[in-house]
Amino acid sequence: MAALSEEVLLVVKRVRQRKQDGTLYLMAERIAWGPEGKDRFTVSHLYADIRCQKISPDGKAKIQLQLVLHTGESTNFHFSNESTALRDRDAAKDLLQQLLPKFKKRANKELEEKNRMLQEDPVLFQLYKDLVVSQVISAEEFWANRLSLNNVDHSASNNKQEVGISAAFLADIRPQTDGCNGLRYNLTSDIIESIFRTYPAVKQKYAENVPHNLTEKEFWTRFFQSHYFHRDRISTGLQDIFSECAKQDEKGLRSMVVQGVKNPLVDLLSLEDKTLDEGYGSNSMAPSTSSANKTVKENSNSAIIKRFNHHSAMVLAAGAGKKADAPNDQASETSSTDGNSRDSDFFQPPVKKVKIQEAIEYEDLHMENGKKTVALNLKKSDRYSHGPVPLLPQQYTTSQDIINSVNCIQQEIANYKPCLTQVMSSSTASSAIAALSPGGLLMQAGSQQAINQMVPSDVQGELKHLYTAAGELLRHFWSCFPVNTPFLEEKVVKMKSNLERFQMTKLRPFQEKIQRQYLSTNLTGHLEDMFQMAYNKFHAWQTRQMLRKT
Amino acid sequence: MKLNIEGLLVYFPYDYIYPEQYSYMLELKRTLDAKGHGVLEMPSGTGKTISLLSLIVAYQRAYPLEVTKLIYCSRTVPEIEKVVEELRKLMEYYSKEAGEKNNFLALALSSRKNLCVHPEVSSLRFGKEVDGKCHSLTASYIRAQRHSNPSLPSCRFYEEFDALGRQVPLPAGVYNLDDLKDFGRRKGWCPYYLARYSIVHANIIVYSYHYLLDPKIADLVSKELAKKSVVVFDEAHNIDNVCIDSMSVNITRRTLDRSQANVETLQSTILKIKETDAAKLKEEYRRLVEGLKEANVARETDIYMSNPVLPDEVLQEAVPGSIRTAEHFVGFMKRFLEYLKARLRIHHVVQESAPQFLKDISEKVCIDRKPLRFCAERLRSLLRTLEIADIADFSAITLISNFATLVSTYSKGFTIIIEPFEDRTPTIANPVLHFSCMDPSIAIKPVFERFQSVIITSGTLSPLDIYPRILDFHPVTTASFTMTLARTCLCPLVCNLRNPQHGAFWEGGEGPVIRNYGNLLLEMSAIVPDGIVAFFTSYIYMENIVASWYEQGILENVQRNKLIFIETPDAAETSMALEKYQEACENGRGAILLSVARGKVSEGIDFVHHFGRAVIMFGVPYVYTQSRILKARLEYLRDQFQIRENDFLTFDAMRHAAQCVGRAIRGKTDYGLMIFADKRYARADKRGKLPRWIQEHLTDGSLNLTIDETVQLSKHFLRQMAQPFKQEDQLGLSLLTLEQLQSEEMLQKIAQIAHQV
Repeated sequence: MAALSEEVLLVVKRVRQRKQDGTLYLMAERIAWGPEGKDRFTVSHLYADIRCQKISPDGKAKIQLQLVLHTGESTNFHFSNESTALRDRDAAKDLLQQLLPKFKKRANKELEEKNRMLQEDPVLFQLYKDLVVSQVISAEEFWANRLSLNNVDHSASNNKQEVGISAAFLADIRPQTDGCNGLRYNLTSDIIESIFRTYPAVKQKYAENVPHNLTEKEFWTRFFQSHYFHRDRISTGLQDIFSECAKQDEKGLRSMVVQGVKNPLVDLLSLEDKTLDEGYGSNSMAPSTSSANKTVKENSNSAIIKRFNHHSAMVLAAGAGKKADAPNDQASETSSTDGNSRDSDFFQPPVKKVKIQEAIEYEDLHMENGKKTVALNLKKSDRYSHGPVPLLPQQYTTSQDIINSVNCIQQEIANYKPCLTQVMSSSTASSAIAALSPGGLLMQAGSQQAINQMVPSDVQGELKHLYTAAGELLRHFWSCFPVNTPFLEEKVVKMKSNLERFQMTKLRPFQEKIQRQYLSTNLTGHLEDMFQMAYNKFHAWQTRQMLRKT
Repeated sequence: MKLNIEGLLVYFPYDYIYPEQYSYMLELKRTLDAKGHGVLEMPSGTGKTISLLSLIVAYQRAYPLEVTKLIYCSRTVPEIEKVVEELRKLMEYYSKEAGEKNNFLALALSSRKNLCVHPEVSSLRFGKEVDGKCHSLTASYIRAQRHSNPSLPSCRFYEEFDALGRQVPLPAGVYNLDDLKDFGRRKGWCPYYLARYSIVHANIIVYSYHYLLDPKIADLVSKELAKKSVVVFDEAHNIDNVCIDSMSVNITRRTLDRSQANVETLQSTILKIKETDAAKLKEEYRRLVEGLKEANVARETDIYMSNPVLPDEVLQEAVPGSIRTAEHFVGFMKRFLEYLKARLRIHHVVQESAPQFLKDISEKVCIDRKPLRFCAERLRSLLRTLEIADIADFSAITLISNFATLVSTYSKGFTIIIEPFEDRTPTIANPVLHFSCMDPSIAIKPVFERFQSVIITSGTLSPLDIYPRILDFHPVTTASFTMTLARTCLCPLVCNLRNPQHGAFWEGGEGPVIRNYGNLLLEMSAIVPDGIVAFFTSYIYMENIVASWYEQGILENVQRNKLIFIETPDAAETSMALEKYQEACENGRGAILLSVARGKVSEGIDFVHHFGRAVIMFGVPYVYTQSRILKARLEYLRDQFQIRENDFLTFDAMRHAAQCVGRAIRGKTDYGLMIFADKRYARADKRGKLPRWIQEHLTDGSLNLTIDETVQLSKHFLRQMAQPFKQEDQLGLSLLTLEQLQSEEMLQKIAQIAHQV
């Protein structure tokens, strides 16, 4: 067999594919099928390529398993071993069920992401064609930089944008009667996940009981039978494994209630300033509806209401996920460090103040004070305030040099005395300004009817591509600095050779083409400069490297 | 901007003004000029509070001798704080514009629970516990005992305040509850007593209704307020119920048992004191003989409980001889308790008037009217003499003595109903004696008589003429203001669902109605963005509907669109649900809140902007009509005020419905659907009782709609509302600059906003 080194997890014989008998293999990373009597696989899919699996419904004559790939293709396997077909199929299904999610997450996200980026960004796509397809750099190199960059941008939002849970997920498992006094519930992995996320107590039960005490099927059967699922049933049996869950929920609910609310405007407890004392008032009938004289029906009704509130709160919490936890932790930390419960009193006013201010605010009665602005999101605020520092074309200036020169200038400015006798007369000055303004005497040479009229558009387009490609390469190159890891060293060398290759394979032909067309302007001068700058930097780095080594 | 309201310079702390605010101020000024009372209805969210404050403050500054004080009463603690913050804004504007620091003192007053800064006392959860604990630290005899025994606990904040706090008045400024606490902490003074002391010379007081309307508290707190004050009752649509509640008493068997225990404690304490300190009792007796009831009236901390009847009904004579000695009084109370116990041992409902009750009691146990009237007074004196620290334990006997005083003081306006069991559970004996006040004018009468101007205002006071009738006063102004709108931002719709038969719902005979309700909710949940609030007529009704919806799978389908939160009888649970509801509206998931009309949510919580894009009112929130107390009240209203039962019931139902649907609109930039899911709303008698600002938009085209039509109209409305709405759109129509306001044409328009009744 082709891949003996692979770990084979499951072998199922007598599986038909395209009306051919064969054997199905489930390996660590892929699923494969080979026809009987041949020692090669005609079908082989990496798990990562599989989108989902489908099975034929119970009771169908043919027992089948279908694999749907991301590409949209699908492969059917027909389990044909009379006696054990169902069991075989279920074994394969269960194993796949465990394996697929592991691969799904990893592989796909990246691919999809890359695909999306290329589709969304034509410039990037062109770049990809220029650099990767023409094999200037490898795809990995291309993405290595891109994706990480992208991740920085989106990481914040990416992580938080976890898909919430549908509030009605329990409704989606509407039972169907199977015709003979039974009920069938359809569970998907999504629903199971929803249940687990919403009800951690159930997840815990699951972890405790499956598979040691119960099979998965039994577990869910019991779940659906339990009062826990049916919200209107009051807990009856103690042997029910979910009665504990209900208790835990109750506890959770109570702790939520005890915690109280942060927004004082919705706190019904502190709404009333002075309640009437017990015994006063006209309708003090209400408190007498204690649990003692409530009917079973009423009890179950209030249980439904409680559970709806709880369910909604849990769904909300599950949706908010970590985001909600973080500030909570913080809050609890701060309050716990003080170790004083009365502190809540000190924390409260800001929230209260804000809420009350919000409540009394009449936005339309105010004059609008300027447009609302979008907050500037700076990744590096120091660069914003100081501006990019231009690199000097010659040698590397040390920070000491810069400080010295700044000092020099400061001194000069401090000592500067305008020599008013030697200034130009105002008329001369204004004529000089006029001459230097666009359209002036001295500005004729760089006339405005520049490139876009002189150069044919196809050349322009090509130049644009060159610029983006060169820019991309240069970005890779410059991103290696400061070179402080061996990996970067290697990369910078590679990038330099990439640059040279680009110059040879792309830039030169273009230059020759321009020359052939007798276009006088030095269109590629700036590009060359940029390359030269990079080479200079590289050489400077190399010489320093040498110096350090000797 | 600076406004000229009929010659009065009013500083208004905004750059623009709503036309109705101007109109409101005009009416308010006329009321103050006439030194009379007023009833003013203006929609919520049109800046009622700031208009009130601006005008009255300006009036106070212009005529400091005419109006010395503004007493602003609101209902909930957040409301009180909001008012103070608005006032702060106004004062800041004053000092900015006028350049000088004005010497206004404005402060909020609330119960000890909200003002206490004592580390132990304030950590108690319930108001009553805080009050009791405070009393046990600060009562005058406790403090006197401390002279001989310094190891007794004390409240250093009160001691500091007592030593220094009264010398210098509180510096001018605006003090909210938190500011008072800060100030108290800084100075080491008790904020509660500081505030209570300061209200006498404050220019503006903001506190809750009870401080004026509940005679038990009003007597302590608001006794010394000047006559030349303007009293404002904001959110006053339920003021009659507040009045009634403060004068009504319910006695159960449990109350009697606890009173019995109280009496026994009293008795043993008296015996003990007799052995150790008989002089004290003699001294008390002597005081009572001389009629020096309140010899040490200045001891503010002692008057923890006060007379339950109104000040002018309190007898100005000596306590009668039969209850003058402590033992006699205890014996008297015992007899009274036995009598009450006997009255509660019944098998059928008894209803009688106060004179009947008095006649019966004098026949059966020979208790006269006069000693009964002194019960509350006498008990207070005894408790003080016995130096009982924790008065909270004696709440039961206090209640009984208050009842005795009330029942013997008022012969009219009250009724006594003794029910052997609850209507719903006829098998369980749970006898209750209701002594219920039926005439709200009794409690509020002294307020109208005492103060120069009383303004009753709210977003929903329709029909306006009923309030003067049930509160028995004669307003000089009665006006309802509409909301001028640049776009119709409210959309009332009446859905033609059949009304459920009352009481039939628990037999399950209401299937189709409930299903229709469910379908309406389901449809709306699919088209309304963010928050929907649905109100039911009662809690039990909601419970049953929710259960049926659950069985029918309606709720599951609703959950596909929005999360569901439901009000429960437990306030803490409901608060949590509310917060989660708001969270769900914030994060875009959207939610539905199922709630109850007349419940806490419908009365105290606003659903601004996306927190409430639609309100659905299922059914007409009639009060539970089978209640005997209500029946008695209706009879009384008919006999005394010529208000027909049906009129009152409809009025009551409609004010609650209006409250519920009004929760969604809190301003002109807000928008919301108001769906009345009951065809009875289409009838003229119901429609006509809605506030004018809702009625105006309730056209014939929005009546009697099927569910589908409702959905279509809602969709259309929501789409329109989703268009951007800018300030310029409003300007000149529903929002005015100073120049626009001064134009002749606009002034004419404004004159039409106020609708005089």
